[in-house]
Amino acid sequence: MDFSLNQEQEMFRNYVRKYLDDVGQTKVAREFTEGNTSSFQALYAGLAELGCASVNVSEENGGMGLGQLDLVPILEETGRALLPGLYLETNALAVPLLERFGTEEQKAKYLSAIASGEHTFTVAWLEPSGNYKPSNVKLSGTLQDDVLTLNGVKSLVPDVELANSLLVLVRTSEGQGAEGISLVIVDCDDVSLQVQPQKNMDETRLLAEVTFNNVQVSSQQILGTIDHGWDVLQEGLLSFNAALCSSIVGSMEKIVETAVEYANIREQFNQPIGRFQAIKHRLVDMKMDLETARSLAYYANWAIESDAADKVEAVSSARLFATEAFIKVASQSIQIHGGIGFTEEIDCHLYVKRARFYENYLGSTQQYYEQAAVALGW
Amino acid sequence: MDFSFTKKEEQFRQELRTWLEANLPDGWLQGEVQLDKESKEYELFLRDWQKKLYEGGWAAIAWPKQYGGRNATLMEEIVYQQEMVRVKAPPLINYVGLHMVAPTLMQIGTEEQKEKYIEKIITGEEVWCQGYSEPNAGSDVAAIQTTAVKDGDRWIINGQKVWTSFGHVADRCFLITRTSRLEKKHKGITVFLLDMHQPGVETRPIVSMDGQKDFNEVYLNDAIAYDAEIIGQVDEGWKVIIALLMHERTGIGGQVFTLEQQFNDLVALAKELNDEDEPLIKNPFIRKTMVDLYTRSRGSLLNYYRNLTKQLKNGHPGAESSMDKLLVSELTKELFAQAISMQGHHGVLWKENALMDRSYWQDNYLYSFGQTIGGGTSEIQKNTIAERILGLPKDMGR
Ligand SMILES: Cc1cc2nc3c(=O)[nH]c(=O)nc-3n(C[C@H](O)[C@H](O)[C@H](O)COP(=O)(O)OP(=O)(O)OC[C@H]3O[C@@H](n4cnc5c(N)ncnc54)[C@H](O)[C@@H]3O)c2cc1C
Repeated sequence: MDFSLNQEQEMFRNYVRKYLDDVGQTKVAREFTEGNTSSFQALYAGLAELGCASVNVSEENGGMGLGQLDLVPILEETGRALLPGLYLETNALAVPLLERFGTEEQKAKYLSAIASGEHTFTVAWLEPSGNYKPSNVKLSGTLQDDVLTLNGVKSLVPDVELANSLLVLVRTSEGQGAEGISLVIVDCDDVSLQVQPQKNMDETRLLAEVTFNNVQVSSQQILGTIDHGWDVLQEGLLSFNAALCSSIVGSMEKIVETAVEYANIREQFNQPIGRFQAIKHRLVDMKMDLETARSLAYYANWAIESDAADKVEAVSSARLFATEAFIKVASQSIQIHGGIGFTEEIDCHLYVKRARFYENYLGSTQQYYEQAAVALGW
Repeated sequence: MDFSFTKKEEQFRQELRTWLEANLPDGWLQGEVQLDKESKEYELFLRDWQKKLYEGGWAAIAWPKQYGGRNATLMEEIVYQQEMVRVKAPPLINYVGLHMVAPTLMQIGTEEQKEKYIEKIITGEEVWCQGYSEPNAGSDVAAIQTTAVKDGDRWIINGQKVWTSFGHVADRCFLITRTSRLEKKHKGITVFLLDMHQPGVETRPIVSMDGQKDFNEVYLNDAIAYDAEIIGQVDEGWKVIIALLMHERTGIGGQVFTLEQQFNDLVALAKELNDEDEPLIKNPFIRKTMVDLYTRSRGSLLNYYRNLTKQLKNGHPGAESSMDKLLVSELTKELFAQAISMQGHHGVLWKENALMDRSYWQDNYLYSFGQTIGGGTSEIQKNTIAERILGLPKDMGR
């Protein structure tokens, strides 16, 4: 038995940590919230140079050919720094989907560009006033002579401005359910999309409403088979959610570290506040949540990598625990910091906002509860 | 990352399975063995089980071979725990002796003491109890007031212990006493290996909230112990106390596997109970609660594996065992609370009137309140985690 990351993975973590330390950890995220995306772009390129973007791309497509677990250290580290942008969507969703369902042409077109850090993906799923159920996928795709014409509106699309391609859920056949939905890759450079920015509480991630007005793409852009895109996406979401958990673990780790440090230096009533059990025990609860999330996340990623029989319950339960614990831990941290915790000046609030961003991102908490229950055979 | 067991470990599992099949008391697996927990018959049944384990070489697998153990690896211990939980093996009457006293003796005892006590512990000939707590010293162990006063080669012991598990069946007690009043309260403590069968020792049962009489008050009125029964040095008992507490924690592993088993039992219950003609497990509210419990009990098992990995690599256990204990005991309490709720008003029926599984749920629910207190309260575990793992300042008064 060995339930830990291996030496190479830990070594890679150190490179990434050092790189992010050098650029000031959350400094880049803060600049991003002020509308300055150039330092982020430079950072992303730097991370790609380290190999972060190519880790899980297959060797024949220009990557390192490593697995899901090799993403974990990167995700934890970028989670600590609240990295903006589409790393998760690109490397933990688009890459596994392309590797598994992509045509040779699609692989050739996208994977090596992803590996070199030049191409990113975002996801266009929700629609105005809709939810994540298949019945709410209404954006229509009409197929004629190998050309798919898209009409409709997507909402809450993250970071379109940074994306080169969108994974769009499209209704290609009549119906309410999961059948008749296709997953289509839309390249931003090839089409004209109307983008209306939406204000996001988590300003480290941009959101927008995207209107598709007779947008035409080739049917070659369908990922997997037409009308069966829902199942394709669900498969990809397993990798994505396992990865998401690791990113959350990184954020939580940073929060606990910072809060403990503060409790050791801040004095009231002639002693460090960390001596008061009201604070001390809260910190222990936070630590317990962190370590439990980490164990669940490691296992979820391992389950994906080894295609374990219990991967669905492993991933959905990890996601449920991690998203909830992230909110709890980030909120507690503000309380521990007192007045300064309530300000924009220090990072506490950034983590709370990111936690809320992830809570129902690409699937609602309720749905993941149900997914876990079904997977457990209940 | 690798969750597999080696071939050798699987062989070990098979060997144990075969032995259990042949040696578990008749009717045990079928749940047909029903003994009154307070009867002498039950005590004899448990002593007999202990002896059987010993004879089969399964009483203390982690011990060195010279003492009757198997020098088992950590992984073999895991396999052992899993298998024992799987068959819901009878409890160990000499738990304190096997898992706490003997390992401490091996570590600190004199040759003479090892010779005299260890074999009797593993065979079950002598059952032990642990005399730490007193009416005014619980979490604050060093506040004990029981005194031992030297009188030639004898020591005269006076005081009162409380919550002494197995005290009523024990032959010997790992007893902590005050032998000097020095400036620091951690100094001046001495540990004795006390003979319980003497006129100066009187045990009175305490009825716990689950109706059991598993623990006791122990009155010491001029009880006698000899120099040879001191473990460690006079006045330097604190180190011995800590050594034993460390061994106490290794028992935690088993709790994780028990929790897993109990969770599976809870799932079965939720499938069996009906809510308007549909199994409760189909009710959205119950599903959410169950997934939540699943997630956290999985989490505690995985945490345990991760700590185990650390231990395998470092060669010694760390303060993480406090995290395991805290998580598992708190979760166990929640799990049984949920089991009672799920039965609706019928959940209050217990003993012979219990609707489900012969009071298993009610008994364990009531018992679970002790688990977050015994072996150090959750609050004390949190202090340990805060100070030893997070590096926060020490609690007031220590
Ligand atoms: C089932 C069971 C079996 C037991 N078996 C044995 C046994 O065999 N031998 C033996 O010697 N003892 C035994 N005990 C006793 C057990 O170790 C003590 O009950 C335990 O250590 C708590 O001590 P106490 O009961 O005096 O509570 P107290 O120490 O009085 O605690 C009362 C409350 O105050 C809290 N508290 C105390 N100090 C602090 C602090 N510093 N910070 C925050 N909160 C604090 C506690 O957490 C608790 O909530 C057993 C107890 C139980 C329940």
